[in-house]
Amino acid sequence: MRALVVDDSKAMRVILSQILRDLHFEVLDACDGLDAVKKLEGQGPIELALVDWNMPNMKGIDFVRHVREQNLRPEMRIVMVTTETEMDYVQQALTAGADEYVMKPFTKDVILEKLGLIGIQVR
Amino acid sequence: MSEMDEAIREFLVESYENLDRLDTEMVVLEERPEDKETLASIFRTIHTIKGTCGFLGYSKLESVAHVGESLLSRLRDGKLRIDDPITSALLAMFDAVRRMLAEIEASGSDGAGDYSELVRTLTALQESGSPPTKAAAPPPAVAAAPVVSAPVVSAPVVSAPVRAPATPAQTGFQVFAKATAQKAEAPAPARGEDARPKEREFPAADAVHTPSETKSNSGVADTNIRVDVGLLDRLMNLVGELVLARNQVLQFSNVVDDSAFAATTQRLNLVTTELQENVMKTRMQPIGNVWGKFPRIVRDVAKSCGKDVQLELEGKDTELDKTIIEAIKDPLTHIVRNSVDHGIETPEVRRAAGKSPQGLLRMRAYHEGGQVNIEISDDGAGIHTDRVKAKAIEKNLITAEQAARMSERELLNLIFLPGFSTAAKVTNVSGRGVGMDVVKTNIEKIGGAVDVSSERGKGTTLKIKIPLTLAIIPALVVNCSKDQYAIPQVSLLELVRLEGDEILREIEDLHGAPVYRLRGRLLPLVHLDKALGLADSTDRSQAINIVVLQADERQFGLIVDDINDTEEIVVKPLGKQLKGIDAFAGATIMGDGRVALILDVLGIAQRASVVSSTRESGTRDAATRVAQSTGERSTLLLFRAGADRRMAIPLSDVARLEEFQRSQLEFAGDGRVVQYRGEILPLLELSELLGWPTSEVRDPLHVVVYTRDGKSIGLVVEQILDIVEEDLVLQKRSRREGTLGSAVIQERVTDLLDVEGVLRRHAQGFFDEADLETARS
Repeated sequence: MRALVVDDSKAMRVILSQILRDLHFEVLDACDGLDAVKKLEGQGPIELALVDWNMPNMKGIDFVRHVREQNLRPEMRIVMVTTETEMDYVQQALTAGADEYVMKPFTKDVILEKLGLIGIQVR
Repeated sequence: MSEMDEAIREFLVESYENLDRLDTEMVVLEERPEDKETLASIFRTIHTIKGTCGFLGYSKLESVAHVGESLLSRLRDGKLRIDDPITSALLAMFDAVRRMLAEIEASGSDGAGDYSELVRTLTALQESGSPPTKAAAPPPAVAAAPVVSAPVVSAPVVSAPVRAPATPAQTGFQVFAKATAQKAEAPAPARGEDARPKEREFPAADAVHTPSETKSNSGVADTNIRVDVGLLDRLMNLVGELVLARNQVLQFSNVVDDSAFAATTQRLNLVTTELQENVMKTRMQPIGNVWGKFPRIVRDVAKSCGKDVQLELEGKDTELDKTIIEAIKDPLTHIVRNSVDHGIETPEVRRAAGKSPQGLLRMRAYHEGGQVNIEISDDGAGIHTDRVKAKAIEKNLITAEQAARMSERELLNLIFLPGFSTAAKVTNVSGRGVGMDVVKTNIEKIGGAVDVSSERGKGTTLKIKIPLTLAIIPALVVNCSKDQYAIPQVSLLELVRLEGDEILREIEDLHGAPVYRLRGRLLPLVHLDKALGLADSTDRSQAINIVVLQADERQFGLIVDDINDTEEIVVKPLGKQLKGIDAFAGATIMGDGRVALILDVLGIAQRASVVSSTRESGTRDAATRVAQSTGERSTLLLFRAGADRRMAIPLSDVARLEEFQRSQLEFAGDGRVVQYRGEILPLLELSELLGWPTSEVRDPLHVVVYTRDGKSIGLVVEQILDIVEEDLVLQKRSRREGTLGSAVIQERVTDLLDVEGVLRRHAQGFFDEADLETARS
């Protein structure tokens, strides 16, 4: 299975990628929404996207809207990564088409639980 | 664990980079508090640090970043307006974060530092607009409250005190804050007017995130990778070696007659050049990397001196080699501190002087001819040269006599002398025992030059010229006494070759120093072999090669045996045997495998006293500037004195030109006189007075009549030559008795007659001493 990590912080990308790799994902990453849209082109199926909220160029919510409105990746489950200060954004994200949210910081188990909620089975 | 390490490393690198930007952004924000883009960027940085800390387990850093983030989010959402205490607290928070990052880097944990005070301050500031204090005030005060929290303003006055403590807005959870705001607005439609303008003034943050507004100001491009600087250094060294090998192969291919080999060599040549250029590029960094910290420094220094200074940075993208960037960091910092501390006046003084109370400090960087120029100019009080003079004398750096002779420009340059500092008191800002001399030394160490200009009341400008890179430089290779030397091309102006007769004709001897007239300018000549103390073995009667060089704004000609090609040379440091010799800047290996020394042009010039080590340079420039600034050209009378001396005096000093027959001469007292217009005109034979050989006895005598205070005296000259209008460019080096100096007039070396000096010495009975004194002063 493949996952896309979208975050403007490279440190965060490293951390998130590692968690996902531990869960046997093959990980792609992108540094903002625009970059993520580019990364989606010409790729095989991508089952999961972890999307940060606060990014330059194209922020997370705009990425989610774009993907859902253009119906770019119907198969892709989108999980918004937020912090508690961004709680009111969660509803917006879900409305825009995100499937779940996860609050920073989180552990592998939290991710596992969220993936279960959106129907992704991990070995 | 290694993934964790990688994450931590990324976290540190990324956070440092962002923090460096933060200082600049904060200063921008202070000027334009409503700049949403900047606020969003600052918020994002702290937000990211906080978010990542959670994963990495740095709880202390997380907690500091958390309160910082909350405060920033309230600023971002327009619920608070940035002011001085908030700025200072945020800056303190950035510093704390930086300290903890350093701890993490050093020890792996965010340290034992106690930041609870800072956390309290930040929390308090967040709530400074909180309802309990403001809302308790009477209604007009509520409406006018400077720090606005939406629910407070629009809430009914009566219920405010009750509602306020429960308002969770200050905890930073915006989801609740918004709900409260809506609720509060509803029961007080009449007060809506109060709330709405405020809201417009501090618009909610949503707009910040529209893609159109958040232009690409940051963003980690995935096409970038981080490379250790040590690796780049090694690469650069290897490329240097490759360049040397290439040079050797090139030389070899010239001797071998093999077209296939020649073609391959050509290819090698091209690839090497390109490789060298590209490796050099990897080491290039925009100067903005160093400048990033200046807004903060300027702010801090200005605050501590009670000044208001605006910093303008121009040319941030100008690129320089990393080693050079490192090398100029401290000198630049020092100059900037100095400018704010000593250059720019306090607002009161500025206002009194009719200037805007806010001082302006401008830094500008740009490329020019393979060099980078950096200018730091302020619009402050300028440098008080009288004070500089007094200080220099007091500190025994120069004598009073020297000082009296110094031009304005020379006086300015005294600030670069070791042990000089005009600050009346040592401040903690710039008086750290490091003076401008260290600045100058450091800049010259990397092959740069620094120059100062200043106008009283208008400001001071420091101009720094530095090379782009140090590792590989183009140089001219010359031969002297059978050895090869490399001359850095930056100092090179042109090459001159004189053959046969030209040597005798065009090289003149100016009181023991050889000079060459290059397009109307006197060029002092230096024999390289003599300057280096080598055997003077070469026969130079047939041809002379002159390398025209620039040293410290002075030009001179270096006489060498042979001039070879220009070459890219790799600069190698000198061994310790040669290190102390100022004539050499380094060594290199030539194409033929031999070692050549790289000449330090300034060092050679100083050795040969073409420029003096205490920088009494710029006489030429000073004279030129005076001529230009007044817009005056001198009109000069040219004449010959003695068999071959060309001399000049200002035409304004000349009353008449006369011819007398020898038979008219009479004797009175010690000297010769003639009757002239019913008076007795004493005559002075110039060539005799100056000790120059005269030609054959002349008849008639050519006399220049000099008049002052109704008294006249006749100066007997060999021949009147011409009257010219010229910009006088005096070379005082050659000054001697009876002359004020030499200049090139009509492409000939000409001495300017010191009329007053001659008269004082030789015609004392004629003018009163008192007259002469006043005339001289």
